[in-house]
Amino acid sequence: MKKIGILIRKEMLDILRDKKTLVMMVIVPIVLYPLLLIGMTLVMSSIMSTPEDVVYRVGYTLTEPAQEQNTADGETVQDGRNEAGTEAFVLTEEGTIKALAEVMERNAEEFDADVEFVLLESDEDAAKMNAVLTFRKEPDGRMEMEISYDSTETDSLHACQMLEDAAELYRQDLVAEGLEKQGLGEEFLYPITCTSIDEVSEAESFGISIGGSIGMMLIVMILMGALYPAIDATAGEKERGTLETLLTLPVTNFQMIFGKFVSVAIIACVTALLSLISLAGSVLFLIFGVAEEMMGSLGFSASTMLSALPMLLLTMIVTALLSSALCMCFCVFAKSFKEANNYVTPLLLVVMIASMAGMLPSVELDQKTVLIPIVNVSLMMKQVLSQQFDFALAGVANLVNLCVSILIIWFLAKMYDSENILFADGFRSFRLFGSRSDIKKGTIPDNGDIMLSVTVLFLLLIYVGSVASIRLGFWGTAVSQLMILAVPLLLVWYMKSDIRSLFSLHRPRKGTVAGSILLYLGTYCLIMVVSMALAALFPESMENVEIAFSPMTEQPFAILLFVVALMPAVGEEILFRGLIFGGIRANWIQKHPKERTSRAAVYAIFISAAVFGIYHMSLVKFFTTFLLGAIFACIVSETGSIYVTMGLHFFNNAISMAAMKYPETVGKVLPFLMKERLSVSEVAGLLAAGVILGALGLMLLRRGSQGSLGGDGART
Amino acid sequence: MIEVRGVCKEFERSRREESAEGNVKKHGLFGKRNASVKDGAVQAPGGQSKAKKHKVRKETFLAVDHVSIEAYEGEIIGILGPNGAGKTTLLRIMGMLMSPTEGDVILTDGEGREITELTHKKAAIGYLSGNTKLYPRFSVREYLQFLGELYGFDKERIRERSEEIFKVLDMEGFADNRIEKLSTGQTQRASIARCLMADPQVYILDEPTLGLDILSADAIIRFMREQKENGKTVLYSTHYLEEAQILCDRIYMIRDGKIVAHGTPAALMQQTGTDNLRAAFHAIYDDTTSVHVQ
Repeated sequence: MKKIGILIRKEMLDILRDKKTLVMMVIVPIVLYPLLLIGMTLVMSSIMSTPEDVVYRVGYTLTEPAQEQNTADGETVQDGRNEAGTEAFVLTEEGTIKALAEVMERNAEEFDADVEFVLLESDEDAAKMNAVLTFRKEPDGRMEMEISYDSTETDSLHACQMLEDAAELYRQDLVAEGLEKQGLGEEFLYPITCTSIDEVSEAESFGISIGGSIGMMLIVMILMGALYPAIDATAGEKERGTLETLLTLPVTNFQMIFGKFVSVAIIACVTALLSLISLAGSVLFLIFGVAEEMMGSLGFSASTMLSALPMLLLTMIVTALLSSALCMCFCVFAKSFKEANNYVTPLLLVVMIASMAGMLPSVELDQKTVLIPIVNVSLMMKQVLSQQFDFALAGVANLVNLCVSILIIWFLAKMYDSENILFADGFRSFRLFGSRSDIKKGTIPDNGDIMLSVTVLFLLLIYVGSVASIRLGFWGTAVSQLMILAVPLLLVWYMKSDIRSLFSLHRPRKGTVAGSILLYLGTYCLIMVVSMALAALFPESMENVEIAFSPMTEQPFAILLFVVALMPAVGEEILFRGLIFGGIRANWIQKHPKERTSRAAVYAIFISAAVFGIYHMSLVKFFTTFLLGAIFACIVSETGSIYVTMGLHFFNNAISMAAMKYPETVGKVLPFLMKERLSVSEVAGLLAAGVILGALGLMLLRRGSQGSLGGDGART
Repeated sequence: MIEVRGVCKEFERSRREESAEGNVKKHGLFGKRNASVKDGAVQAPGGQSKAKKHKVRKETFLAVDHVSIEAYEGEIIGILGPNGAGKTTLLRIMGMLMSPTEGDVILTDGEGREITELTHKKAAIGYLSGNTKLYPRFSVREYLQFLGELYGFDKERIRERSEEIFKVLDMEGFADNRIEKLSTGQTQRASIARCLMADPQVYILDEPTLGLDILSADAIIRFMREQKENGKTVLYSTHYLEEAQILCDRIYMIRDGKIVAHGTPAALMQQTGTDNLRAAFHAIYDDTTSVHVQ
């Protein structure tokens, strides 16, 4: 711990003595952001506000001879209205122009600029106009007025709007007049009226419109703050040749990476803080300087913002940690500044897109989105600025981001021993990046390969899987399950691995099956108790699950059984217990030939269970799926056979499906399954049954496999 | 003392081979572009153009091949060999920067106890090579301060030790300059100062006198002699054979990762019937059989 402190101090000193970093850290946020923001606002407001003495020139052309028609009849034409007409208005083009000018004059307070109507003599004149009016007479005598304008020019746009408004007022005049003539009131025209009232408070709509973009700006600022020091501390150190020196010192890889990580995060935090202060300063300046009314009308309450401030600060720190971890994850691969910049570009793009989540109107921070790093920060910022802060969710989001950062750093420290960082090109841990013809038969996929294919699979599931389930509905589940099966098989094919030993495709060891079943039943009892407790704690999430499953119950039971029970039983077992558990265990054994294999099994059980838990994408279900995943991995380890867990997994899913499809029948046979709430004695009974069955099962299992956790099966 | 027992290090290298025409195997997901190199049309003797296909394969080889070395207290050991012989890899393995594919490096302290903890091993070794650069934005004094803290020295000890080192290496003039401002010789002395700070048992120096002027090189040779007198072990690689001849107690010569000759300079010269180490070196490298004399 003391060494990490010394390393951090050294890193900070080294980074801070670099002038480039200082510029990025201090000058950019303090000078650039206010300049940008204030400059933008000034430009915007100068565009938006029109000087009062502006005169828009509107050209018009006439298709009929002026006034002839009316003068011939000897009638007085005032403003285009045919005074004698009783049935309908007979409008003339010139009269309409006059009427529009008159309407504008009459309502001068609404029309803040003057309009000058110009009769166009030629086409060249039209180009000098802000807008051009043309008229068309409909067969039924109505007048159709066309306004040509240029929407990219503010003046033209404004002139067009004024003309539209004037035409509308003129229409209302005409209609009112007509009604009066017929002796009818307004109620004749509007027997029903409709008004929509936006329930969203001003602050809320502000949060949605502005909060999203502020969130994005903050996230990008933090990332930019982390980026430069991260490159400097990893690739930069490699480029300067000081990394080898650092490795001669008595520090462990973890201390080294962690020291760098913390220093980068501190710099990122400071940058973020400076950015926030300068941003807040600019906004305050804007409020009191330029757009006071606009901000005041939002009813922004300072106290709500202040109460969110500590959480906001925490969020910023955690986001800084996350961005630093992400940046370092990429930069450690690079050998030089240039290379690091290239590697980081995709990261920047992804983070920027993820941080735009807050701008999407219908995306909210909920139990699902809170699990996605960066996106959760963006959504949280939106919440804060719309003053609807959910502290619990914000806490979860920060926890998730913190966990992800720790995971990344742990992974980095594990994966990149000194040799990999220094002397290899960084991709040594990925056998997948080699040509298949170079891969020897029976190669075990490296942890990097497994991690990469699982990440790819998860992304496939999120994107392809969700598209499939929208298009195909129920059958989308089948597509996802096929992908889950296909990815491990493809990887194993590519690596030419021994599929039987890697995936434990063996017959179970004698006398272990009964133990496995008992262990599973015991676990099931315990899981029931845990999920009851969780359902009581988080009632909404359980309802969500029920809604998600409801379309499934319409399918025939055989199909349901096939898609929801059999396919996951095969696919998920191959992925989690085959590839992840088997692969990690085999890797560990290969890397630590002198250690006991039981340690490999325990390590692999833990990781595969954690991935299994994460895969279910629900905070509430994590604990139960983690437990189930651990027990299944343990069973594979002890029986040496994946077929056992495939069977159990099938049974597990089949039971839930049956309960969903035929609640009454299942309720009769296994009453405790269907109960909403269990009594204390029932809970105690389940707990006792779980412990007894589990212990018994474990005992039988250990006897069956001669107490060798991960024993012979793993060695072959 | 430091003992290397049957150490091997496996590396990958690319080798181009011709494959039979029309029989180009499928390549990997990511390796496809790199793995298959089409040489285009090669003019065949018959005057017809014929497409030949080459293929770059990765293969493993031993950069260090079953090397065993012992170095005792109060000894200067020279590691000689042409470029690419595996000297640097061997020294990196001994300096705990790389782990061997096979074999062990055993380090014992003054009382003959084996050091097992990696960080303790690193603390007991002073490793210096052309690649161990110093932080350019630090001054030498700050650097030693940082090192001292990392080794767990208290403030007083750090100050005393730094002053002592500055005096020995004649560095008082530039101790407070930033390292990026120093000359080559000054930088090398700063690097030596870095190694000295922890007062290690074993010095592993990879071509420490490379590219230095006579004064700086002499300072470093003097430093190695002093360390020898203090009962330390010094292992060093060099291309300056005259320097090795007068300085080394024993010499290991390496070719293609294997030790081809081992002995005192005098014994090596006697064995090859030469009167200086340079001639002995040529004699040994021209002959393919190994020479082992004590």
